Amino acid sequence: MSRHPLLRACTTVLALLVSAAPVAAHAGSVGLASRGAPVPSWSVIAAGAAAVGASFLFTSLLTDRQFVERVPRRGWSLPPVAPIFVGVVRWTAVAAVPLVIVAGVIGPDEPVANLLTLVVWIAWWAGYTMTTYVVGNTWPALNPWRTVAPLFPVEPRSLPRRVGSWPSVAGLLALVALEVLSPVTGDPRLLAAAVVGYSLVTVAGAAAFGDAWFDRVDPVARMFALYGRFAPIRRTDAGLHIGLPGAGLARDSTVYDPDDVAFVVALVWVTTFDGLVATAAWERLTDATAAVGVPASAVTLSGLLGGFGCFLGCYWLAARWVRRTAPTYVTTRYLAGWFAPALVPIAAGYHFAHFVGYLTGFAPTIAAVAVDPVSPPASLPVLSPPGWFGALVLLAIIVGHVVAVWVAHARAFDLFAGRVQPIRSQYPFAGVAVCYTTVSLWIVAQPIATGIS
Amino acid sequence: MSLQSHPPETTLSDDGTTAAVCPYCDRPFVTERQRALHVGERHNATEAERRAYEAARDAESDELFRLHLKVIFAVGLLYAASIVGGVVAFSLPG
Repeated sequence: MSRHPLLRACTTVLALLVSAAPVAAHAGSVGLASRGAPVPSWSVIAAGAAAVGASFLFTSLLTDRQFVERVPRRGWSLPPVAPIFVGVVRWTAVAAVPLVIVAGVIGPDEPVANLLTLVVWIAWWAGYTMTTYVVGNTWPALNPWRTVAPLFPVEPRSLPRRVGSWPSVAGLLALVALEVLSPVTGDPRLLAAAVVGYSLVTVAGAAAFGDAWFDRVDPVARMFALYGRFAPIRRTDAGLHIGLPGAGLARDSTVYDPDDVAFVVALVWVTTFDGLVATAAWERLTDATAAVGVPASAVTLSGLLGGFGCFLGCYWLAARWVRRTAPTYVTTRYLAGWFAPALVPIAAGYHFAHFVGYLTGFAPTIAAVAVDPVSPPASLPVLSPPGWFGALVLLAIIVGHVVAVWVAHARAFDLFAGRVQPIRSQYPFAGVAVCYTTVSLWIVAQPIATGIS
Repeated sequence: MSLQSHPPETTLSDDGTTAAVCPYCDRPFVTERQRALHVGERHNATEAERRAYEAARDAESDELFRLHLKVIFAVGLLYAASIVGGVVAFSLPG
């Protein structure tokens, strides 16, 4: 291709148009919908799946190896953050945890008027998590439990190697099971107990096992670390670096072990599942099973674990299939580990889609409650997001998938030689990405059964 | 997590096919062309390997051209399907 500069320029332009294609597709359909001509949800879902498929097709036109390798390397170094500033922020976070817990216990029962509920679910779980992939992972510096744990005079032990990072996979699934099964989202006292419980476990674990606890056991720290690899600002050996979003994943030279692959897949699945259990369709399903004597919690739990198994199985099968489409002798285990970072943008896109509405809606509520957490004003301000937020939600999911296609493309060029084999290796993953977009868009297109509480 | 290993972990297929192996890093390849491309791109190739690389790249260019024709065809098909799907979606009653 390098022999034809014009052709190369054309393919580059075509590939760059990829990011514009989904915008056009969705601006059109949703814009018309707001003018009163209802678009069937299947056409929105099909358009989204087609946009992801098209992004794979356009990306496969980009075969200039030098270009593929150069793009993720663009960026600038940033000046280091002053240690005094880090120290102040770190200890402010440590002081904030007990204050917010106390405010939650003595504050009103109403979850939307209780500071603890608002801070945990809106400010932290929705808002702070967004900053970890939109800006950068500040959690290792901010994490109050990491700040406190070294103060305990315990001799750090080493976490056995054979457990790998499986505890974090179990921890992530357990956290989500707690969130969807127990009334913890709507009961501030129970939430306070959960936060205290998490604090005790985390401080004890971190005091006993040191930083290995946050690298391999604590699901929250691992989740933020993964999102941080996607973020434009990243910490490297040479200091802070700002580059393209997703470039860190494309350049990452680590191969994930099966336990790390399971964690990434679990992250994608739980963000999806969070949305799924809120739909009216899921409520109908649990009502139907309750009628025949199966409790809703059993259905939800088996859905959480079964869906995770299904997602992991599909990903592993796709990795196995790569051996045939490429074709290559590289093992399935290596392929699954090599392409796993490409799943992170999908999780980030879905997280954004799921929480941007909550965050915008409840941001003024948090401000109002924070002023007087014990007796907040009776009428709390809640913004209702404008109609175009629907388009933003769809766009976030599609952009996540398009970036995932790009990251996988860059990683394929790193692993395989030539230009045909890297493209062929992407067929199974492109198929999985299209199926997954379809499922995600179907979920967000469903009517929501319950609100935040 | 472990750092990228050179060469990556490989297993040969069960049907007993003999693989083309890179003389520098012992990585097995399914076809001779894959090996020639790999040696030319990743290692300090000898003159003979350089010529094999050029030949493999030419052969690959032809295949890539055919692949890209298929891609363009698929894009066209997808575009047409989107238009038809859109027309159907907007003309449905309700």
